[in-house]
Amino acid sequence: MKGKIVSIHSFRGGTGKSNTTANLAAQVAMAGKRVGVVDTDIQSPGIHVLFGLDEDKMGKTLNDFLHDKATIREIGFPIGENASGAAGRAKLAGKNLWLFPSSIRGREISQILKEGIDFNRLNEGLQSTIKEFDLDYLFIDTHPGLNEETLLSIATSDILIIILRPDQQDLQGTSVTVDIARSLDVPNLILMVNKALPKYDFVELRKDIESKFNAPVAGILPLSFDLADNASNDLFSLSTPDHEWSRSLREVAQAVLTLG
Amino acid sequence: MMGQDILEHLKKTSIFSGLTDEALSDVARSASARKVAKGDILMKKGEVGDSLFLIQQGWVKIVTEDSKGDELIINKCGPGETIGEMALLDRSPRSATVIALEDAEVVELKQDVFEKVLNQRPDVSLSIIRSYSDRLRFSTTYIEKAIDWAQKIAEGDYSFIDQTQPVMSNAKSDDDKATQLLSAFFTMVRRVKEREEGLKQQLEKLTFEIDQARRKQEFEEITSTEFYSRLKEQAKALRQKRLNE
Ligand SMILES: Nc1ncnc2c1ncn2[C@@H]1O[C@H](COP(=O)(O)OP(=O)(O)OP(=O)(O)O)[C@@H](O)[C@H]1O
Ligand SMILES: [Mg+2]
Repeated sequence: MKGKIVSIHSFRGGTGKSNTTANLAAQVAMAGKRVGVVDTDIQSPGIHVLFGLDEDKMGKTLNDFLHDKATIREIGFPIGENASGAAGRAKLAGKNLWLFPSSIRGREISQILKEGIDFNRLNEGLQSTIKEFDLDYLFIDTHPGLNEETLLSIATSDILIIILRPDQQDLQGTSVTVDIARSLDVPNLILMVNKALPKYDFVELRKDIESKFNAPVAGILPLSFDLADNASNDLFSLSTPDHEWSRSLREVAQAVLTLG
Repeated sequence: MMGQDILEHLKKTSIFSGLTDEALSDVARSASARKVAKGDILMKKGEVGDSLFLIQQGWVKIVTEDSKGDELIINKCGPGETIGEMALLDRSPRSATVIALEDAEVVELKQDVFEKVLNQRPDVSLSIIRSYSDRLRFSTTYIEKAIDWAQKIAEGDYSFIDQTQPVMSNAKSDDDKATQLLSAFFTMVRRVKEREEGLKQQLEKLTFEIDQARRKQEFEEITSTEFYSRLKEQAKALRQKRLNE
């Protein structure tokens, strides 16, 4: 089958999943691929902000689909047709990129958390998203940690990108995720380090992490105030392409493109 | 002062380097010896220069002013050294002031006198034109190289330092400004490279230890649930199905 599911995961919150997912999807779309982004962080959705989608513009959501109240067709928001409002995003005009947002209405969030997600229904959704939109890549932004819906997205993915910060706690947590991914037979595992302090030796860091997990580190992205300042509502790798963060992010995008 | 003496010194001056002894003695004859006392000013910065000085005895200092107007010594010159040779051919202002550090003897070659020699002796003119053109070629070649090197430095490529050094020490005229610039350039690049390597070494190394017992325990907590067993089955079936599609 053609389309690849790429899940982005991290052990702890705030590691940079949403930023990375949005920028990776944008880079892959810029490379001419047909790309979808699903926000499965139903507890605390956030990626829509990076794509400039607010509550007013948001129509049907993943929650509606899971409750059988909408079709996949209806929830895909075409970013390429709404690429304005920010310098980076504007570059996506005309690209084949769709966002499948999660509801940001409190009532709908608590409802789905109470009922739980049906694996088959979500899975069916992901597969038909790829088919109906004829996608090359479907990126999944997840909730941190290893709760059920995250395990589910790991289980369905062709490529799993685990993002970690270079500290003891994240490495310990990541080691468990790596074992889970192997236990679930995920075909491709990629590690990515984010928020690395520039004072560290990135070459050594890469070697150390790769040897500990026996998996490739596709990029080490620096902790950057430029990013913290400017990334909240635009795609940093498009607005500031020459920054080291953006350059390393493109290496990760390249690794994804090489795999599929 | 002996004519032969002056002649020997003039030979070492780069613009005269191509002249025969016979031609050079004609030049030497048009020069005149002068005594200067300690503190005398030989030339003044900003004034239009019209003569060359050849130091026979004693030392002079070449000075300019720093931003506060205080004297700044750029160089000191002694017996056998020439100053102001360019003034024989052009009329640009002196770039620095020259003051005698002690009682000294110099030979002065005036531009108007020198020009008479040039008029009478086409071979001298030609030789001087050649030595200028040599110089210009030398400078241009190295300026081109310096541009190329500067681009390499910008890219962090310092490999040319090792490859280029032999050419440097072969540079033919030691007093050439292009050579001085290049040697300063190379010193700079070497320092920058050292500093950069120093910085690289200062990068901190991060090392982690994974608690393997805890890793195993957490893995088992997750995988021992009913949900996980079902998920693993479903995932397996799913992968099989996608493989067949
Ligand atoms: N390399 C970086 N340097 C500085 N700030 C960063 C970097 N990467 C991400 N951030 C900032 O960290 C915050 C969290 O990023 P993001 O929302 O992408 O993480 P997340 O993993 O999706 O978080 P959550 O777990 O809450 O969903 C954001 O404010 C973002 O701008
Ligand atoms: Mg997020």
